[in-house]
Amino acid sequence: MNSFRGAGPPVRGRTTPRRPIPGSLILLLVLICHISAQDNTTQADWPHYGGQRSAWRYSALDQINRSNVGRLQAVWAFQTGKVDGGFNATPLVIDGVMYVASSWNRIFAIEADTGKEIWHYFYPNPREIGIIYSPWTRGVAVGGGRVFTGTLDNYVVALDQKTGRELWRVNVEDMRQCGCNITGAPLIVKDKVIVGVTGGDSAHRGYLTAFDASTGRRAWRFWTIPGPGERGHETWAGDSWKFGGGATWMTGSYDSELNLLYWGVGNAAADFYGEARRGTNLYTDSIIALDPDTGKLKWYYQEIPHDMWDFDAAFECVLLDAPVNGVQRKLLLNVNKGGYTFVMDRTNGEFISAWPVADSINWIQGVDAKGNLVGRNEPAVGKTSLMCPSIGGGRQWNHGSYSPRTGWFYTTGIEWCEEVTVSPEDPKEGMNFFGAVFQLKPPLHGPAGGHLDAYDPVTGKKFWSYPSKYPLLASQLSTAGDLVFTGDPEGNFFAVDARTGKKLWSFPTGSGHRGSPIAYSVNGRQYIATPSGWGSALAGLLPQLWPETESFPPGSTLFVFALPAEER
Amino acid sequence: MIALALLMAQSVAVPAAVTRGEQIFAQNCSVGYCHGVAGAAGRGPRLRGRSFAKDYLFNVTRDGIPSSAMPAWKDRLKDDDIRAVVEYVASLASSTDPAPPANPMPPGAGPAAMPSFKGPAAAARGHELFFDPVRGNCGVCHAVGGRGIAIGPDLTSSKPSEILSETGATRSRHVLMAKLKTGEEFPALLVEQTRDQVRLYDLTQSPPVMRTLLGPEVLSLVPNASWRHSDFVKDYSRPELDEVVVYLRWVASGK
Repeated sequence: MNSFRGAGPPVRGRTTPRRPIPGSLILLLVLICHISAQDNTTQADWPHYGGQRSAWRYSALDQINRSNVGRLQAVWAFQTGKVDGGFNATPLVIDGVMYVASSWNRIFAIEADTGKEIWHYFYPNPREIGIIYSPWTRGVAVGGGRVFTGTLDNYVVALDQKTGRELWRVNVEDMRQCGCNITGAPLIVKDKVIVGVTGGDSAHRGYLTAFDASTGRRAWRFWTIPGPGERGHETWAGDSWKFGGGATWMTGSYDSELNLLYWGVGNAAADFYGEARRGTNLYTDSIIALDPDTGKLKWYYQEIPHDMWDFDAAFECVLLDAPVNGVQRKLLLNVNKGGYTFVMDRTNGEFISAWPVADSINWIQGVDAKGNLVGRNEPAVGKTSLMCPSIGGGRQWNHGSYSPRTGWFYTTGIEWCEEVTVSPEDPKEGMNFFGAVFQLKPPLHGPAGGHLDAYDPVTGKKFWSYPSKYPLLASQLSTAGDLVFTGDPEGNFFAVDARTGKKLWSFPTGSGHRGSPIAYSVNGRQYIATPSGWGSALAGLLPQLWPETESFPPGSTLFVFALPAEER
Repeated sequence: MIALALLMAQSVAVPAAVTRGEQIFAQNCSVGYCHGVAGAAGRGPRLRGRSFAKDYLFNVTRDGIPSSAMPAWKDRLKDDDIRAVVEYVASLASSTDPAPPANPMPPGAGPAAMPSFKGPAAAARGHELFFDPVRGNCGVCHAVGGRGIAIGPDLTSSKPSEILSETGATRSRHVLMAKLKTGEEFPALLVEQTRDQVRLYDLTQSPPVMRTLLGPEVLSLVPNASWRHSDFVKDYSRPELDEVVVYLRWVASGK
């Protein structure tokens, strides 16, 4: 077979002429980033789920910037035709072609400058999916002339990048047995396509699987719960390891210099009932660093030993370099669903810092200087407890963005709590395994709601905060135009000043935002693209606190914006 | 006192089926991201304050809703339990509050659903071995009793002696050797062959990969490939395979 390569480095020189850059400090920052972190920013293409595999979601394009963003116009829109589950994806753009997935595993290739469809592929899902992690899809991976997707019935599929023709498909595990499927985007590392699965709220034993991208043959599987005889197995009481959760439902990151694959692992199951799984429950709620060639564990960092709150460590692993006490370090930043951001050394997993993204947190009192959780507040069996944040998280899975120009991390936070009633539950393979029911509640102090904030990624110092009536459930995009883009549940797609948080532009797309915006350029013209389409598990929960959101319209439309053609 | 008396009168008036349905609902339908506490909405639609025909509720609960996340509960709950859930959901129609004030999950309640394996003890071990996720897992290639992936032959219509000889055989009557124009060769199971394309499973390793090839990409498909099923059951001892056969015989005949 032909040698297989990833999407490759972004093509340089297709950006617009540079504007004068104000301030010598910024110039220095830009220079440092161009030297040390070239692969972390995107240019014309948006080749991977997180932009590049460092998950910055930062575009070096600056044609659209603070001074002209007010004149941004919609230039095309694309309807996927399936609104059920909302539109949760990150589109990819490679050489002027956009690849995007919508719910029910509809895959499209679209001319990125005109919106004209090149091909589509609708995966033949069975009529009954019957598990709770559906029917949304967060995206595809593209590399080596192929488009890869994971399906609602737990297959990985490879398509021909030019024609959309199916080349291979392989079942990861019978979804009826594992109670799991694939909603996250795969990640390509060298000749392998790496795929995580859902299942963290099912009686399921989690894993991460790599397939040979050419043939579809399984290359390795890493169980997120060690089996008998393996190190870490002793952190599970009795047989609880067989059904302990540890889903890998989001997309990981990759550092090519260290040749390390990073993946976030979700909660332990049963989510709220922990009596039967006494122990720290490795590697749930952990960041795992694997050798991508073999699937062998290099290091791990467990953010929450013995999770009792359904707080995943599954969200994006942002790979950034920053000074810690005056020394430049290779870091990994992960926002935990419990509302704390954990920062670690990505060469060895050493704890660096932890800081909150939400105010309403009562499941712990804090995190000490060594990374230990202080003042754990576990919900008691047979009782109803008020827990903050709610199961929806101090932040949701929608991704933050790191800008090397400001050196700040942009992410959202949610203020809400829940009343949770815990009950003993026995596992039934592949079935829901939750151990509780819950009801969303407002926080003790102040109203429920959301915010978008700018932070120092190491110290958590907050530079600005943009308040929102509803939780913001779309990802952030930051750009060299010093803009941060995101959308809200009411359907507004908007841009704020990356340095002040001031809203500079907004556009009503007609349906709420749950996906991830991107920036790209074709023939020198910069575009901003965003999915618009209200839906997903979290969208379904919002009416418990905000009854009016029940009538927010679903949708599934891709909107693309640019400056007027004569202005560039 | 009057309010309390009214409350007590109300609680007395609740039919037993509704109370039982409330428990089953709390354990199976409220959980996770589904219908929320007392049908207050979750990932699934709100049930509280809405009217549904009981026949409709029973049918969608029993059979599921195609092309949706709503599963069929017929294999997980007894019909009686489904009827109780229907009575309970129907009782929520007059609730006007968007969310209930209290949490109805009875403390310490156990699971209500049926056990996952309903067969005799003699077949239980074989069932467990057949679907053992850590080992080779027969279910990766064979569907039995509504589980597993239907790639290889239906084992419940085969004679036990055939199954055992097939697992030990060094050749298989089902397997072809596929040769591609690229020079690639692999043992394959043919799925379909049309004028334009060939669809087959690559059996090189587990799990099999279904490949779709254009007609001209395939040079030849030769029967009687030297693919060895025994390589795929090497994690199982002979006594264990015998237990698997006991399970398969039970599925096929009910005995």
